[in-house]
Amino acid sequence: MSELLHVSNVTAGYGDGPAILDGAELRVEPGKVHCIIGPNGAGKSTLLKAICGMLKVRNGDVLYKGESLKGLRPDQVLRKGICFVPQERALFPKMTVRENMRMGGFSMSDKSGLEKRIDEIEELFPILKERRDQHAGTMSGGQQQTLAMARTMILKPDIVMLDEPSLGLAPKIVQEMFSIMKMMAAEGITILLVEQNALMGLKNSDQGVVLDLGRTLFSGPADDVLRDPRIQDLYLGGKKAA
Amino acid sequence: MADIIQTLILGLALGGVFALMGSGLSLVFGVMRIVNLAHPVLIIAGAYVAYWGFRLYGIDPLMMLPVAIVILAAIGVVLYKLVFEREARSAKYSEMTVLLTFAIAMIVEGALGGFFSNTQRVTSPDYATDAIFIGDVFIPTGQLYAGILSLIIISVLALFLKYSSFGYAIRATTQNREAAELLGVNVNRVALVSFAIGIGLAGAAGCLVSFVFSFFPAKHWEWIAVLMSLVVLGGMGSLLGTVVASFLLSVIAAFVGTYVGATWSTMTFFLALFLILLVRPQGLFGEKPELA
Repeated sequence: MSELLHVSNVTAGYGDGPAILDGAELRVEPGKVHCIIGPNGAGKSTLLKAICGMLKVRNGDVLYKGESLKGLRPDQVLRKGICFVPQERALFPKMTVRENMRMGGFSMSDKSGLEKRIDEIEELFPILKERRDQHAGTMSGGQQQTLAMARTMILKPDIVMLDEPSLGLAPKIVQEMFSIMKMMAAEGITILLVEQNALMGLKNSDQGVVLDLGRTLFSGPADDVLRDPRIQDLYLGGKKAA
Repeated sequence: MADIIQTLILGLALGGVFALMGSGLSLVFGVMRIVNLAHPVLIIAGAYVAYWGFRLYGIDPLMMLPVAIVILAAIGVVLYKLVFEREARSAKYSEMTVLLTFAIAMIVEGALGGFFSNTQRVTSPDYATDAIFIGDVFIPTGQLYAGILSLIIISVLALFLKYSSFGYAIRATTQNREAAELLGVNVNRVALVSFAIGIGLAGAAGCLVSFVFSFFPAKHWEWIAVLMSLVVLGGMGSLLGTVVASFLLSVIAAFVGTYVGATWSTMTFFLALFLILLVRPQGLFGEKPELA
């Protein structure tokens, strides 16, 4: 069994509302970048939230290294080695960049080790070093996203889940975000990416997963998914992908 | 000139006490979005703890501070577990807490009336009626002690919030509850502990209030609007804002009391509340509310 994470036939939704995910399947292989695509309302974000414990898994199971994550709180899932960066980036606007980084390592018990680790991350991201005493809320969108992504590396997680890191950013900045993502992958972090822009997401990934109406339609190597005629019908409005 | 300095000093001395009275309210709102209308009645409960120690055992109200903090914090834990925890995920949580805490305020007021009667009380340690004279200006020692101790307690709280690990968790939860949870903060525990701290602060404020103002169970109705005006002017949830607003408004109230008339003094707080909501609803240090 080579998979790191296995989402098996999962049903989930918000509160007592209808099921948004209805039989979602996902296999995550270690060290690779996985991109989840699908139209609006397909359940992409919901899937990430179900994995990290923000939403209750009603049916099915989420297995991580063969162990079920079902019923765990987000802080418990985090301690297992899965970090989630939601669309809103999960920053603390009135804390400084450095304090935000410290919050990234909140679950670490070794606080002096944490400071050292933050220094290492700052070396990788000079902009964060430069802005360390600035309030996170006063930075640009790209800088905030950089902080949110860099912060996950503090914990040396196995998996980082990114929910639309490109949202609201200029195309040039979006490329930077994908570079950061690739840098994280090069460090051995497995990436689970949700991307609205299917073309761009798949081009920057190893594996593609297509969701629609809460179900996994199909998955495979990103190049194959990109060329698959079904996705052009479903998602790219029938036009040929680049 | 001496009049002006005198008025300023009286305003500043009360400002410290108001700051402590408002800080627990501000903390509880900031972390949990609970609009705690029962905060003032719990301050009165704290004052009765001091009164009880003073009358029965002759203990100085200042010595009763730790006792009142512990007792009120314990009440906070019980209240939180009993009333607030189960509603924490509700969409209309803040609105609901207004009604819930209103009910709690009436229940606590009734209970206090039952135990202690509705007679006006005050603890009267020697320093409460003493004053320090500097030339023509006098500083009432009771208010001076209460003001200084309030600032010390608030400083300890501020340092705790700024530097301790749990303080980081509290601030993070205040600013972005979901993000805090994702980063490993057990937000339910943070909510419980912050609520206990907030109500503990009401206990501390009660001890100091016990020799600054006379009190009786129903007195808290007068304080709700006063404390709300401090917290709203400071910016809901901002500790620094509450402190600044407390000094600002109590100094203005002191001047209004001296130069316009004592009966108009309390009006300062109500007028301020109206004006802030009209002109700058987010307060001095608050976030501008996002348009939903």
